[in-house]
Amino acid sequence: MADALREPKELALLLGPRKSMVGVLTPGAKVAESAASAKPMVVLLNAGIIHRVGPNRLHVALARQLAAREFDVLRFDLSGIGDSAPRDDALQPFESALADIREVLDGMESTRGVQRFILIGLCSGADQALIASERDARVVALGLLDPSIPRTRGYFLRHWGRRMLSPRTWRNVLMGKHAVWRRIAEGGSRSARAREAVAAAPLTLESPAVRAALETAYRQVIERRVKILAVFAGSAGREYRLNYRAQMLDAFPTIDFANCLRIEFFRDVDHTFSGEQDRALLLSTIEDWFGSGAAGSWESSMKETGP
Amino acid sequence: MTPLFFGLGNRRLFGLYTPARPAANGAARAALLCAPLGQEYLCAHRSMRQLGLQLSSCGYDVLRFDYFGTGDSSGDFLQADLSGWEEDIATAIDELKDTSGARRVVLVGMRLGAALAARVAVKRPRDLQALVLWDPVVAGTEYLHELLSFGSGETPSAAPTRQRAAGIGGGHEVLGFPLNARMEDSLAELDLVALVPSLPERSLIAVTQPTPSYPAVVEAVAKRPESAIVCERLGGLPAWLNDEDTGAGAVPINVLQRITQWLTP
Repeated sequence: MADALREPKELALLLGPRKSMVGVLTPGAKVAESAASAKPMVVLLNAGIIHRVGPNRLHVALARQLAAREFDVLRFDLSGIGDSAPRDDALQPFESALADIREVLDGMESTRGVQRFILIGLCSGADQALIASERDARVVALGLLDPSIPRTRGYFLRHWGRRMLSPRTWRNVLMGKHAVWRRIAEGGSRSARAREAVAAAPLTLESPAVRAALETAYRQVIERRVKILAVFAGSAGREYRLNYRAQMLDAFPTIDFANCLRIEFFRDVDHTFSGEQDRALLLSTIEDWFGSGAAGSWESSMKETGP
Repeated sequence: MTPLFFGLGNRRLFGLYTPARPAANGAARAALLCAPLGQEYLCAHRSMRQLGLQLSSCGYDVLRFDYFGTGDSSGDFLQADLSGWEEDIATAIDELKDTSGARRVVLVGMRLGAALAARVAVKRPRDLQALVLWDPVVAGTEYLHELLSFGSGETPSAAPTRQRAAGIGGGHEVLGFPLNARMEDSLAELDLVALVPSLPERSLIAVTQPTPSYPAVVEAVAKRPESAIVCERLGGLPAWLNDEDTGAGAVPINVLQRITQWLTP
């Protein structure tokens, strides 16, 4: 119970111009002398369609941890997720999320005088955080947990290398179950149906348009000296398409991330950091990012981008 | 819908209050929804929200809330215990009565929330208008066995069930939620069949996924022919299990409709 007594007194909020989004603010910040000297507010975005508490209550733990470092932390549900009502316009889901984020930041600026924000998101939340920050100069730092990164040559070398070293692959080849036999039976190349399926496939992370959009977003935020912590969960495997630490750098070779980017790669951790110890590792990594000169970084970031 | 915190200072509970829509005529009616636990709580969130909206559109003031150490409420999961969660339900009943003006409330619980709601209903019969148990945990040992068999590889993104070290309270980690030995022991003591003789006269036990122990509940209810307790087998997906690896569960509309219909004859 002693821990509960130390917990900050959280506030339940209705957010957005229609007061249609449900959020919880964990206050941590001391009253600053001016808005410019105040710490940025941390905003936690939904992980997929899991409501604002996050997978295994990750966002609650993170909010209380960062509040102990004197950051105000807001977690909220995007429209149509968790307890928030759907929007009444016809925006597509991704644009709807970006509009929600902008409206929430606007609200925090107008009601609480917050001028700088740190966005943290997992999975879809990471992608939304990146694009939102590309469009909003108030965002000074990003915590991207398993964001979307296109697959690279290095990815495929590791992927196929592992497959080649797997006894299961060779067992399937010897037993005639491996796809290579079907390929051979079809004339040594992809069947016409398979070729048509590839041609008709929807956009993927490797599609030039998607890759270019991500590259533009990263380039924009890095030019603004936005600090990025990118944490990747390795055992997410094929589904989440990242299998080595430097894949993010290789995917965007023309961007000079310089000292704005910190990458962490947890090889044996699942996509939602669901293990008790994995979650503790993630929380300590984020805490370390905030702590290793992070407070100073926020101030220097303000100086670099200020008038 | 109004989000709020209520309860004592060191045990602040997060709730969402949805007033009746349209405003109810006559006596106020109120429903308190009691969520399941752990991963089941996350998955069932959509269904509990939809049930709350349906009940509010049928004239109920509805309160959903998170137990201490869960969801947005204060505290840590490892500090929580079953008796504390029963007290949380009692606190929420008082909050709902106070806010809505209703003299008695309907308790609707799912899974472990149903088991806890049943225990509270037996202790506070004067506060209860009716009780709905949605796929309740019937036998604690069966429930524990079910929990511990989760994470056995069927869901690739889920953490496997692991034994926790004795030094940190023992027990197991179930889909990333720590169940210490103390919690496991108290879960194992849950016994819905033993409560059936004391359940409110007006109770609905709605089951979509009957467990081996469920027939014992039906048998116990049959021994109370004078009561209006109803046991119903319904179709529908389990709202508390991860659907398509999205981290959220299905929303079985037919179950929501049946509960709403039963409560608004």
